[in-house]
Amino acid sequence: MAGAHTQSTAPDTRADTDDTLLAVRAAEGDEDAFAVLVQRHAPALLRLATRLLGTAAEAEDAVQDAFLSAWRRLPEFQGRAAFGTWMYRIVTNRCLNVLRARRPVAPLEAAGEVPAAEHTVSPARITEGRDAVRELREALDLLSAEQRACWVLRELDGRSYEFVADAVGISQEAVRARVFRARRCLTQALGAWR
Amino acid sequence: MTAHTDPPNRASAHGDDERLPCGRLLSRAWEDREQRPDDTHPRSCPHCRDAVRELDRLESAVRGLRTEAADNPAYDAEPLTRRIMDVVRMELRPGRPLPLGEPAEDLWIMEAVAARTLRAAAETVTGVRAGSCRLLDAGPDGAAGAVGVRLDIHAPADAPLPELAAQVRERVWEAADHELGLVVAVVDIRVTDLVPAGTEHGQEGRTR
Repeated sequence: MAGAHTQSTAPDTRADTDDTLLAVRAAEGDEDAFAVLVQRHAPALLRLATRLLGTAAEAEDAVQDAFLSAWRRLPEFQGRAAFGTWMYRIVTNRCLNVLRARRPVAPLEAAGEVPAAEHTVSPARITEGRDAVRELREALDLLSAEQRACWVLRELDGRSYEFVADAVGISQEAVRARVFRARRCLTQALGAWR
Repeated sequence: MTAHTDPPNRASAHGDDERLPCGRLLSRAWEDREQRPDDTHPRSCPHCRDAVRELDRLESAVRGLRTEAADNPAYDAEPLTRRIMDVVRMELRPGRPLPLGEPAEDLWIMEAVAARTLRAAAETVTGVRAGSCRLLDAGPDGAAGAVGVRLDIHAPADAPLPELAAQVRERVWEAADHELGLVVAVVDIRVTDLVPAGTEHGQEGRTR
């Protein structure tokens, strides 16, 4: 489902160049330059973290931790990647750790035991759409940490398999397998809750 | 936007593929929807149709989730930025102290603070953006307590570089002398990028 939808960090050469300068300054201890980078990248990274973790509070913590880690590691960063890409990777990893530390996910069978939505007759289309979105959001909790990360980066954020593999730190083949498993789990969950 | 532009998900790549009652693999039923529209089996097979219908339902929910995110007002990053910067300011990396004023005086400035002033001075030259700014020992030839400045800049592509460098050097010297009282023996300038005329970077990155 990669497509034209908004990505978290738009490829903008001019902004990237400016980021590079700011990252160099921040690496040399200029905290004002770092503040500009935080302000510029925080909204997209928060959107990513919220998609990965599901709650705004956890997402804010993850993004805050990621930026602090970046501030500490900046002197060694030396611009090997664009700052935005580097941050995207740090946030993804941070969120993966949070997801892994959560209690084991409910087994797939449990999805069938979730109380059915109250209406059995087909309500207005719009309500149906909204319910499906809510169900999807809940179903994401059934995925393993890696499945969720791969699926969110690929299907919601529209990243390439290559990018996801790099961000999550596994092979492209492993990303494909996890995206498939996630899709299968999600279609089943949505079906079971109907 | 099409949903399935991915290369085939071969069953061997994921051991938990599912064989539908019609004998086809779930992964194939999903792939064939996009990649083999001329195949008549999926249209006549209720199992494949169900599999595709479930995927359609998921994709419509995914679109809903994306739209919902797009409809949300832009996130106000200000409070989070403030929180992050509060912690950052407790973990500053100011660099080493540099001597100010006369050799006998006990007055110092931290490298990162001096560098910020010098970068800002360089950026008073139109179209110039400053990157790395290191303050080094001037070496045996320099005056006692003098430092050498090594500054990286992005310069406008249409400017004659020798004149531009001279101008930047002048501003840096002035700022070191008037604003800081820092004795600078030499200002080395490295042009690390040329920016096409009229496309100078946004100025939000300026720190002063």
